[in-house]
Amino acid sequence: MLHTKIVDSKDKKLSINDAERFISSVEFGASIYFTGTVRNLNNNKSVVGITYDSHDDLVIKSFKEIYKEADEKLNIQDKAVFIEHSKGYLNLGEISIIIAVACKHRDQAYVLSRYIIEEIKKRSPIWKKEHYTDNQSDWLKGNPIVHEKN
Amino acid sequence: MKVKIELFGAARDFNEQNLIELDLEEKSTIKDIRKKIIQYLDEKFNGNENYKKIVNSSAFCSEKNNIVSDNYKITNNEKIGIIPPIGGG
Repeated sequence: MLHTKIVDSKDKKLSINDAERFISSVEFGASIYFTGTVRNLNNNKSVVGITYDSHDDLVIKSFKEIYKEADEKLNIQDKAVFIEHSKGYLNLGEISIIIAVACKHRDQAYVLSRYIIEEIKKRSPIWKKEHYTDNQSDWLKGNPIVHEKN
Repeated sequence: MKVKIELFGAARDFNEQNLIELDLEEKSTIKDIRKKIIQYLDEKFNGNENYKKIVNSSAFCSEKNNIVSDNYKITNNEKIGIIPPIGGG
């Protein structure tokens, strides 16, 4: 069971309650909620906010692939996964990503949650532009996308 | 043939419209697009080296939302996305 969405910050803020509603089930005994939030300091620069950019279609495609791989690589078939990522401007402390997972047992939930965020970092085309206290802003360098060859 | 390059991330700074239109020979590939974008940056931004580095380290995405290799042949009027190095989460 999978839910994925890119949420424009002008329309809505990401909500843990939405994630909880989606993954809650008596079938699962372990749930983990991971959130990424905007931090006030990066590379010794004082950050006031981040603008997130996204190739929405490719991001959603990557989320679905990552979910499917969890069946094959991690052998976790019974699971509920909720992934939402923000796009647009976020202030300090606001949530940029929620990954909520529910599995039968805790060891599966920890492994799955970590797997999803690490793969998103490598494969999902999302970019950050940091805004600083001196009114400057910079796109973060990032890493070349990892992908299956066509 | 005409090709539209959709800009993402740091490449959005290449054009305010978030899109570059290129005129390419028939049977052009992603490799040719890379060269054309660098020519465009030479003309518009006086060869800004940081921008050129972005182009050289970027992947490209077809209209069907596949990441494609440098040998991928582009079709007329295809919209291609430039995917600079990523870093979400």
